[in-house]
Amino acid sequence: MTHPSSALDDTIHQRVRLGILAVLSESRRADFAYLQEVLEVTAGNLSQHLAILEDAGHIQIAKAFEDKRPRTWVTVTRKGRTALAAEVATMRALLDGIGSGQRP
Amino acid sequence: MNADEARESLAFSEYARKRARDDMSRPWLALVLLASLSVVSLSLTESAASLTGLFWAFAGPLGAGAIALYAYRRSRSSGIESSPLGYVAITAGLLILAYTAGRLGFAFQVPAVARFGPAIAVAAGFLALAWIERSWMVAAISAALLAVTVAIIGFDLSPQQSKALLFGLYGFTLLAVGFSLRVGRNLG
Repeated sequence: MTHPSSALDDTIHQRVRLGILAVLSESRRADFAYLQEVLEVTAGNLSQHLAILEDAGHIQIAKAFEDKRPRTWVTVTRKGRTALAAEVATMRALLDGIGSGQRP
Repeated sequence: MNADEARESLAFSEYARKRARDDMSRPWLALVLLASLSVVSLSLTESAASLTGLFWAFAGPLGAGAIALYAYRRSRSSGIESSPLGYVAITAGLLILAYTAGRLGFAFQVPAVARFGPAIAVAAGFLALAWIERSWMVAAISAALLAVTVAIIGFDLSPQQSKALLFGLYGFTLLAVGFSLRVGRNLG
């Protein structure tokens, strides 16, 4: 029998990456500045997390020029939505297990 | 990952979701615009069905286009974008349901359907809008309008009386709610 925590996805259970996917799963897309403000992270930190999620195929990043200014839009992929739902379900199951007296 | 970390991560993801929903939720324009269209449409209920159909054929796409344009401009400035498809679907649904109810009522000589069908379709459309916007306030008001409309059917009112009552009820309520959301955005 495997421990429930083995089902956690290392790519997304980090707090900021989970937050990125949570924001994107509610919307069609969000830009870099919005994510930085909501998640309260530095630009460098956010860039690193976005790169990890993009490499894993959870998000797509599109860079564009709008009103002569660069803008980065981020979109969640189907794989990202599925991974987020699975991660949240696993964490809830873990917490339920703890609440019902199982060893964490 | 220990329990505290899991709890903290879940709470943070829930906060991020709610913040995104709140930042995208600005139902006031959709409410005011659809309320205005609905009220005009209700005033045509007793007119020839083709007039109501003609009205919605032009007003529906124009309304949906205006709402989509507003949503697009707002998302450009706020940095988070929602899909306009839901608004377009609601406007199309209002058009089809209100028109069909009116036509069926006339065709089968059921005055209650012709008189109240469009109003019920409009209230149902606003319930769908409430779901898209995750607004309990809009949902409660839509449900109340639906209940009052059904109750009015039970009263023995003349067509003119019921038309005036629905016209005032829907127009005043939805426009008031729309503008109050515009003034105090946190209410939505």
